[in-house]
Amino acid sequence: MYRRTNTPNPPAAFFDNSNPEGERLRRAAASAAVDDMVKWFKNENSTIAILDATNSTKMRRQWIKERCDAERIETLFVESLCNDKSLVMANIVEVKTTSPDYVGQDPEAAAKDFLDRIRKYEEVYEPLEASENLTFIKIVDVGAQVIINAIRDYIQSRMVYYLMNLHIRPRSIWLSRHGESEFNLSGQIGGDANLSHRGQLYARTLPNLVQESAGDRKLTVWTSTLKRTIQTARFLPFEKLEWKALDELDSGVCDGLTYGEIEAQYPADFRARDEDKYNYRYLGGESYRDVVTRLEPIIMELERSENIIIVTHQAVIRCIYAYFMNMAQEKSPWMEVPLHTLIRLTPGPYKTDEQRWKANIPAVSTWRGKGSAAKHQESPLGTPGTELPEPVMKANAT
Amino acid sequence: MDTLLTAEVYANSPRFRRRSSVFVDAIHDMPETQELAPAQLYSTESGRLFHSGRIVIATVGLPARGKTHISVAVARYLRWLGVKTHVFHLGDYRRSTVGPGKDVPDDYFFVNASPSSVLLRNKILKKCREDILNFLEHENGQVAIYDAVNPRAGGRQAIAKEFAKHKIETLFIESSCDDQRIIEENVRSVKISSPDYIGWNDMDAVRDYLARINARIPDFESMHEKDLHWVKIVNGGDQVIVNNCKFGYLSQRIVFYLLNLHIKSRQTYFARAGTTTEEESYKADAHLSEEGREYAKKMSETLFEHRKKERQAIIDRGGPDNALKPLTIWTSTRKRTVETAFDLADMGYRVRQRTQLSQLHPGDLEKMSEQDILDKFPEEVKKHAQDPYHHRYPRAESYHDLAVRLEPIILELEREQNDLLIIAHESVLRVLYGYLMACNATDIPKLDFPRNEIIEIIPSSYSNLAKRIKIRSLPEHIVPNSPDIIPLSAVPSISVSSFTNGDEITSGSATPSASGASQGSSQGASETPIVGKGAMVSTSVGSGGLGAVADADEISLPPAAQAEQDLESDPLPVREKVAINPTAQS
Repeated sequence: MYRRTNTPNPPAAFFDNSNPEGERLRRAAASAAVDDMVKWFKNENSTIAILDATNSTKMRRQWIKERCDAERIETLFVESLCNDKSLVMANIVEVKTTSPDYVGQDPEAAAKDFLDRIRKYEEVYEPLEASENLTFIKIVDVGAQVIINAIRDYIQSRMVYYLMNLHIRPRSIWLSRHGESEFNLSGQIGGDANLSHRGQLYARTLPNLVQESAGDRKLTVWTSTLKRTIQTARFLPFEKLEWKALDELDSGVCDGLTYGEIEAQYPADFRARDEDKYNYRYLGGESYRDVVTRLEPIIMELERSENIIIVTHQAVIRCIYAYFMNMAQEKSPWMEVPLHTLIRLTPGPYKTDEQRWKANIPAVSTWRGKGSAAKHQESPLGTPGTELPEPVMKANAT
Repeated sequence: MDTLLTAEVYANSPRFRRRSSVFVDAIHDMPETQELAPAQLYSTESGRLFHSGRIVIATVGLPARGKTHISVAVARYLRWLGVKTHVFHLGDYRRSTVGPGKDVPDDYFFVNASPSSVLLRNKILKKCREDILNFLEHENGQVAIYDAVNPRAGGRQAIAKEFAKHKIETLFIESSCDDQRIIEENVRSVKISSPDYIGWNDMDAVRDYLARINARIPDFESMHEKDLHWVKIVNGGDQVIVNNCKFGYLSQRIVFYLLNLHIKSRQTYFARAGTTTEEESYKADAHLSEEGREYAKKMSETLFEHRKKERQAIIDRGGPDNALKPLTIWTSTRKRTVETAFDLADMGYRVRQRTQLSQLHPGDLEKMSEQDILDKFPEEVKKHAQDPYHHRYPRAESYHDLAVRLEPIILELEREQNDLLIIAHESVLRVLYGYLMACNATDIPKLDFPRNEIIEIIPSSYSNLAKRIKIRSLPEHIVPNSPDIIPLSAVPSISVSSFTNGDEITSGSATPSASGASQGSSQGASETPIVGKGAMVSTSVGSGGLGAVADADEISLPPAAQAEQDLESDPLPVREKVAINPTAQS
C-alpha cells in the first residue's frame, strides 16, 4: 500500500535488490508503514497491527523488531515458505494477478512479471531462523509443516492456532437456510418442525441451485441436528455431517412462541432484545454472543476445509456471514437472510465475494426489523419468492 | 475409607487403569456417562465431538522430558472440553506384568535385545494396545493417550499403521530437550523421590538417574518422519514444530493447547479475597473492610512462611537454593481482590490484574436475600437445585458460562512458569480448582473454600495434589464461604440425593462440602469404588477424620505417598507401592 502510493504499477526491476533507486524507495515505504503503525498504536485503543510486507532479510526484521521494542510493541513474525513450485504458480495466478499492482494488465504478462519479482526477492531472501531471537511462526508448504518459535503469551498462541487452520487454496462456502418449515408458516420461533410443502420443494430444487453455482465441484454438506435442515439437505449428492453447534439459537422459554406471544407474555424481554439483540439472552436460552462462542469449532473447521455447503438456521447464518463479511456486531443480528436462497461466499485476498441464487419458490418472510411490530415483515430486499433475475445481487465486503 | 490405591489394586484392576484418591485429582477416573464436562459446549449421540474422529496420541521422548506430564495435561484439557479421553501409561503395564519389586531386563529398550526381552516387550505392548482399542471402539472413547517412550521410527510407523487399520489417526507428541538444566530440574522434582534414592544428596541422585537412562535407552531417534502426524516440543516450548497435523479440529486444538504448556513443575495457590465494607453488593465494588485488610495481612504472612519452609526443606535435601520458583499473583480487577494483594505487592511480588477473573455475575439476584430470591424466583430456585452448574438465574451467569469465559485464563495458567497465587471470588476458584483437579461439573458449585485456608495445588507427574494451608486466628464469622448468590439451603422441599446443602452454608469448618463419598462411583462393579472424584478432600468422614488432620497446619500426603505418585513413569526399578490411608493417622 505504502509503496503503491509512489509506484502504483511497478515493474519487476523495482524489486531488484541491486537497483539503488528501488532499494531506497522500498526502504522509504517500509519506514512510512512502520511510522504509521507506531502512530496508530499511540493514538487509538489499538491492540494488533498487521505489517503486510515481505521482510525477507534478517536485517529488515531486526530493524522492525528494534523499532517495535522501543515502542514496547510485541512482534510476531509470520513466514509462509513454499517449496512446492506448483503451489506457488497457482497462488500467483489466483491471487497476484488480481492484485492492485496489475490492474488493467494482461494476466499472463502479469504472472511473468510477478515471477521475475519473486526471483529478485529470492536473491536476498533469508528464511527465519531461531538464532534471530524472534517470536515467529513459519508455515511450510501451506501447513504441511509449521515451526513455531518463542511464543510468549496466550494471544500469540491464539493467533498461531488460527494461522495453522488457514489455507490459501481457492474455495467457496455456500450458505442456505432450511426450506420453509411448518413453524415458519405459523410464525413460531425455534422448535424442531418438519418442512412445509414449499420447504420440501426447495429441498428438491437445492441440488440444481448448487449445481448452477458450484459446477462439478465436490462439496461437503454440513447441517444442524434439527429436522428442517436435514430434510432440506437430503437430496444433495454429497457427504453430509450433522453439527450440534449449527443448531438454531436457543430461544429458551420463548421456544415455540410467535413474536406476538412473546411480546404479550414477556414484554420487558421483547423490548430488551430490540435494544441489544447481540447480547440479549433469552430466558433459559442463548444470545447471539453465545452462538458465536459455540461456533468457534465451526469457524476453525471452515477455515481448514475447502468447499462446504452449510444448511442451517437464520441466526447461525447471520453469525457465519458476519465473520466472513466482517460485519459489525450490532448489525449482524438484524441482517435479512431470506428463505429459499443460496448464498455463496468466496474469500479472496482483498475481499470476500458474495453471490446469491434464489429458488423460484415462494416462502413466508421470517424477518422482523428493529423496533417494529411483533410480527414478521415483508423483506426490504423484495418480496421473497417473486421472480428475480439470478443471481439477484452481488456484494463485496471491504 | 481406604481410598488411596495400592500396587495390588493397580495390578488387579481389569484394565490397569489408575484411580484418583482423596487428595489426588480425578484425571484417571472415567467420567460418569452422559454427563457434560465443565466447559463442554454441546453433546452428541455418539459421545464424540467436532467430527474429529478417534485419535491416539502417542508420546515420544526419553525419560524426564515431561511425557507423562504432557499426557495428563492434554487429557485434563480435552476432558474439560468434553472430549472423552483416557491416558494409558505403558509403565503401568510394564510394572504389572513383571510384578512388584521386579524390573524389566537390562536390554529391554535395546534395538538388538535378546529374544526373551523382545517377547516380554511385545507382551506388554500388546496388552496396552488392546486396552486402547477397547476404549476407542467399545467405550465411546475419542482420544486415547498412549504414554510411552516410543524411541524408534520403525516402531512409530508400526503403531500408526496398526491404528489406521481401525480408522484411528495417530498423533505423536515428542518432548525433546537438550537443555540440561530443564532435564535435571525435572529429574529432581519428579523422579528421585523414589525409595531407591532415600538418603542420597539431590544432585548425586540426579546424576545417577541420568546415567542409568543413557545406558538403558541408547538408541533413541527424534521424530523426522514426514508422513506421520507429529508435534515436537523443543526445550519445553521454546520451539514447537508441527508436522502434517491438519487432519481435524481436535488435532489443531491440541497443538494450540501445547503451545501454552511447559514441562516445568510449579505450584498454584488459591486464596479468597478479604471481606469488604459492602459485602452484598456486586455493583458497588467496595473496598476492603478493616477485617478484610487484617485477613489480607494474615493470608500473606501465612503464604510467605509456608514458602519459606518449603524452600528450606528442599535445601535440606541437598537441592539448589533457588529451587522455589518466583511467585506471581493474579487478581481480578475488583477492588477487594486487588487490595487483598497489597501486602504481597509491598513485599515485592508481581501482581497482575485479570479482567476475566471476575466473579460469577449475579444478574437480578444482586443484593437480594435468600428469602427475597425464594419469594421472587421460586421456579428458578427449583431449577437451580436440579442443575446448579448449568442453570442461570435471570440475567446471571452460570458456572458453565464462567468456565467457558475462563478459557484464556486456563491456558495462561498452563503457560505461567512462576508459582502462582490467584486471589479471586469463590465462584472463580471453584471453576479453576475444578479444572486442575478434574472435578465433575456437578461437583464444582459445591466446592467449599473457607477463608481460613490457602489451597495449594502441587503437580506431580501423574496427577495434581491438593493441600490446604491453614490461616490461623481469623475471626470466626469471616471464615465460611462467602454469602453465595445461590442460596440452595433455603430451598426446603427439594431433595437431590447427591448434595446436602445445609452443610455448605452452615458448616464453617475446614471440611469441604464437596460431595465426596456420598457420590460414590458408578463405575463397573468389577472395579474398586472410588471416593473423592477429584473433590477437594473426601468428606465421608465428616468432621471427625478430617477435623483431626486439619489440626495440623497443612494437610499433605505423607512423603511415601508422593513417591508412589511420582515413581511410575520410567523404566527404572520401582519398589512395591505402599498403601496409605490418611485418615488412619487420626
